[in-house]
Amino acid sequence: MTIVELVLILVRGLGQGAIFALIAMSLNVIASASSILNFAVGALMVLAGVGAYMILPSDPTLFGWIMAGLLIALGMGVFGFLQGGLTLIPLKSSVEQHSWLITTMAVSIIIGAGIHLFGGSLAFRVPSPIPPVTIYSTTTPTAYLLLIVLAVAVYLCLKWFHSRTYIGLAMSAVAQDLDASKAAGINVRRVQLASFSLAGVVLGLTGHIGAPVINISADTGIGYLLSGFTAAVVGGMGNNLGALVGGAMVGVLSMFAAYQFGGIYQDSVTMGLLILVLMIRPEGIFGLAAARKV
Amino acid sequence: MTELTSHDTAARGSFPNVSPLWVGIAVVAASVLIPGFSGNQYWSYSFTLVALYTAVAVFQNILMSEAGQFSLGQGVIFGVGAVTAASLTTLFGYPYWLSAIGGFVAGLLMGALYAGPALRVQGYYLGFVTLSAALVFPQLVIAFDSVTGGVNGVPVYVGALVTPIVGTLTPLSLLAIALAVGALSLHYVFPKTRLGRKMIVSSVSTESAQSLGTNPGVIRFIAFLIAAAGTALAGILYVPLIGFVGPTNFRVDFSVLFFLAVIVGGQGKLLAPILGIWIVYLVPNVLLADFSHLRLMIYGLVALFVMLVFPDGLVGSIEKWWTARRPADTRTSFSLQDVFDALPETAGEGAASQDDRPLVSVRGATKYFGNAVALDGAGLDIRQGTIHGLVGPNGSGKTTMLNAVSGFLKLDSGAVRLFDHDVVAMPAWKRARLGLARTFQTPRIFEALSIRDNIRIGAEGHGGAQNSGFMEALATRDLPWLDRNPSLLPHGQRRLLEILRVLESDAPVILLDEPAGGLSAEERKDLARLLVHFRDKIGKTILLVEHDLSMVWQVADDITVMELGTVAAQGAPDEIRNDANVKKLFTGV
Repeated sequence: MTIVELVLILVRGLGQGAIFALIAMSLNVIASASSILNFAVGALMVLAGVGAYMILPSDPTLFGWIMAGLLIALGMGVFGFLQGGLTLIPLKSSVEQHSWLITTMAVSIIIGAGIHLFGGSLAFRVPSPIPPVTIYSTTTPTAYLLLIVLAVAVYLCLKWFHSRTYIGLAMSAVAQDLDASKAAGINVRRVQLASFSLAGVVLGLTGHIGAPVINISADTGIGYLLSGFTAAVVGGMGNNLGALVGGAMVGVLSMFAAYQFGGIYQDSVTMGLLILVLMIRPEGIFGLAAARKV
Repeated sequence: MTELTSHDTAARGSFPNVSPLWVGIAVVAASVLIPGFSGNQYWSYSFTLVALYTAVAVFQNILMSEAGQFSLGQGVIFGVGAVTAASLTTLFGYPYWLSAIGGFVAGLLMGALYAGPALRVQGYYLGFVTLSAALVFPQLVIAFDSVTGGVNGVPVYVGALVTPIVGTLTPLSLLAIALAVGALSLHYVFPKTRLGRKMIVSSVSTESAQSLGTNPGVIRFIAFLIAAAGTALAGILYVPLIGFVGPTNFRVDFSVLFFLAVIVGGQGKLLAPILGIWIVYLVPNVLLADFSHLRLMIYGLVALFVMLVFPDGLVGSIEKWWTARRPADTRTSFSLQDVFDALPETAGEGAASQDDRPLVSVRGATKYFGNAVALDGAGLDIRQGTIHGLVGPNGSGKTTMLNAVSGFLKLDSGAVRLFDHDVVAMPAWKRARLGLARTFQTPRIFEALSIRDNIRIGAEGHGGAQNSGFMEALATRDLPWLDRNPSLLPHGQRRLLEILRVLESDAPVILLDEPAGGLSAEERKDLARLLVHFRDKIGKTILLVEHDLSMVWQVADDITVMELGTVAAQGAPDEIRNDANVKKLFTGV
C-alpha cells in the first residue's frame, strides 16, 4: 500500500467515521435521558440529506448553503421532537416496556418508504458549495473535512451542554437516577423530548453537511444506524468521547475493508467488529463494567 | 421482563371456551385447503406462503416469549436454509431432498452462530447483532456468487412437490400446513414441559435459573437451535414453492417482518403469529397488491398504529378486554395448613449420617467493590442439620456472604467449601446441583406459571430427577389454589411460595435471604414453624440471613454476627446474647 493510498483511506475513513460518531452521539443523547435507543437515527440523517437535496440549487452559494443548513437543523429538531412524543406515548401505560423499539423502528421504515415514494430507489446527488481540496495529491471532498470538524464541535458542545446548562444538567440527572430526578422536580418527559430534539438537530447538521458524501437513498438508513451503533458500542455506550474514538475506528476500518476487499464487504467488517467488541469487552473502550445486581 | 404467556394457565379463567390451538389449526388448514380444493392457483400459492411465514413467526414468538431472546435476524436463518437448498439442487445437481437436509443443517448452524453472542449480551445489543446479520446476508449472497448464484439468483423446480393432487392443492401445501400446525402445537405444549419451564425461568431471572441448577447459557443455546430448526424447515420448503431464490428475497425488512408480526399480534399469544402475518404480510402484499409501491409504508404505519393503540398487540388487547368483562379473582391465597399436612417427614436419612464436618465452610472471604470493603476476611461453618443465623447491621456483608456461598459473587480471595468440595471456581448453577438451594430478598415468582409449577420448578434443579415428594403429597389433595396464577398472591405468601419451591428441590442446604422481610407477625410465626419443621422433621441445613433478631434467636442453633465485612461474634444463641461486641451492635437482644 502506497502512502497516497494510506492517506486516502485515513482521510476518507475519518470523514466517514465522523458520520458514525455523530450518529453514535445522537444515540447517546437520547439513551442517556430515556434508556431509549432510537432506531430511526440513520433514517433521520438520510432524511436530512434529502432535505438538502430539495432545498439546495445545483450551484449553491456559501450563504445559501449555511441558511439551508440552519433550516434543516431546525426542521429536524422539530421532527425529533414529534418522533420523541410519539415514542413516549405508549411508555405511559403499556406493560410492554420495549414499545420504543417498535415505534422507532416503524418510524425508520416509514421514513425509508417515504424517501422511496419521493425518489425511487436511486441515490440523491447533492452538490457541495466548496470545491474539493487536495491532500497528498488525493482529491478529497470538503464534506469529509467539515464532518470531522462538526463531530469534534458537537462533542465539545455536548460536553458544555451537559455540564453547564440547566436542561443539560437535568438530562445528566435523569440519566443517573430517574426517581431522584423526579423527586427533585425535574419534568422528566420534557427533558426526554428535549433530548430527541437535540439529537434531531445533530442529525440534521450531519445530513446537511455530509450530503455530498452520504449515500442518500431509501434503504441506506439502517446501514448508518448499525455503523453508528457499532461506533457507540466500541467507544462505550453513553460515552461521547468513546463515540468519537469508536466512530473513527469504525470509519477507518470499513474504508480499509472497502478499499482492500470491495465495498460489498464494508458492512460485514463493521458487523465483525461489533461482535468482536461485544464478545471481548461489551462495555467498550471507555465504558465501566456495570455492577452485577443479585 | 414483560408478560410472557397467558395461554398456559387455567388461572386466567377460560378465555375462549375453545382452545386457541384448535382455532389456530383450523384457520391455517382452512386458509390453504379451501383455495386448494376450489382450484384457485393464486390464493393457494399465497396462503401456502403465509403458512410458511406463520411457522417462522411462531418460532420467533417462542424465542421472544418463552426464551426472552430478542432476534431481528430470523429471516437470515430462513434465507441460509433456502439459499443452501436451492444452490445444492440447481448449481450442484443434488436431489432436492438431500439439498433440503443440507439447507436444514446450514440453518441450524446459523442459529448456533446467533447463540454465541447471546451468551455474552442480551436485549437490544443482541437485536443489533442479529439486525446487522440481516443487513449483511444479502450482500454476502451477492459476494459469494460462485456458490449462491449471486445477484441473478437460482431457479429451482421440484416437480414432485408442486404437482397438484386435487385442484391446486400440492404436496407442498400439505407440508406447509403440517409445519405451521406443528409449530403451533409445539408452542402450545412447550410451556408445560420441563424444558419450557426452565426457559421461562431463565428468561425472567437468570439468577433464579442458576439457583435452580440451570445454566442459562445452555438454555439460550437450545432456544436458538429450536427456533432455527423450525425456521430453516420453512426456508427449505420456500424453495420449491417460490421456484426462485436470490438475494433480493431476503432483504433486511424480510427479517423485521417476523419480529413485527409477533409484536403486532401480541407477544406470547399463541394466535399472535397468524394474525400478525396476515396483517403485516398478507394485507400489504396481497390484498393491496395494486399499491405495491406503498407496501413498506403500510407495513411501517400498521406497526406504529398497533403499538400506539394496542400496546399489547391485537390478540393481547382482545384477551385483556375479554377478561376485563368477566368478574376476576381479586385475590388468591393458599393455606399453610394444607402445606403442613403434606410436608414429608424424612428426618431419618438426613440426621443419620451425622458427622462433624460442616456442610458449608467459608474461610478468609474477602471482597472489595471498588474501594468499599464488603467482606474482610470473614468465615463461617454451617453444621449439618442446623439452622445457622447470619445477622448484622445493613452493609455488614450478610448478603455478600450468602452470594459468595451460592456462587453469585466471585471472591477476591478466600475459600468456600460445600459438601467438602472446593467450590470457589464453580459457577452458581453447578453449586445448586451439588445440593444448594436459595431464596432471594425479592421473591422470584413466575407469573407465567401456575402456583403448582412455581413450586415444581424447584425439583428440576438439584440433581434433576429427585424431588422431595412434597409436591406429590400436595397434588393428591384437592387444592384449588395449586392451579391459580401466583400474580394474585399477597406479598407474604409469595415469600412462602419461594420457600416451598426450595423445599421441593430436595437440596440438603438452604440459604434464605431475609425471608421474614415484609411479613406480618402471624406470617412470621408460620415461617418460624416452617423452618423448624424443615430442620427437625426433614433434616435440612439452613443458613438464615435475617433482620428479625427475635426470630433468629428463637430458631437458630448457631449465630454469626457480622460487622463491616468481618465476623464480630460466633456461637450458640445464649453465648452470643451476652457478648459485649454484639450488645454494641444491637440494642435489646
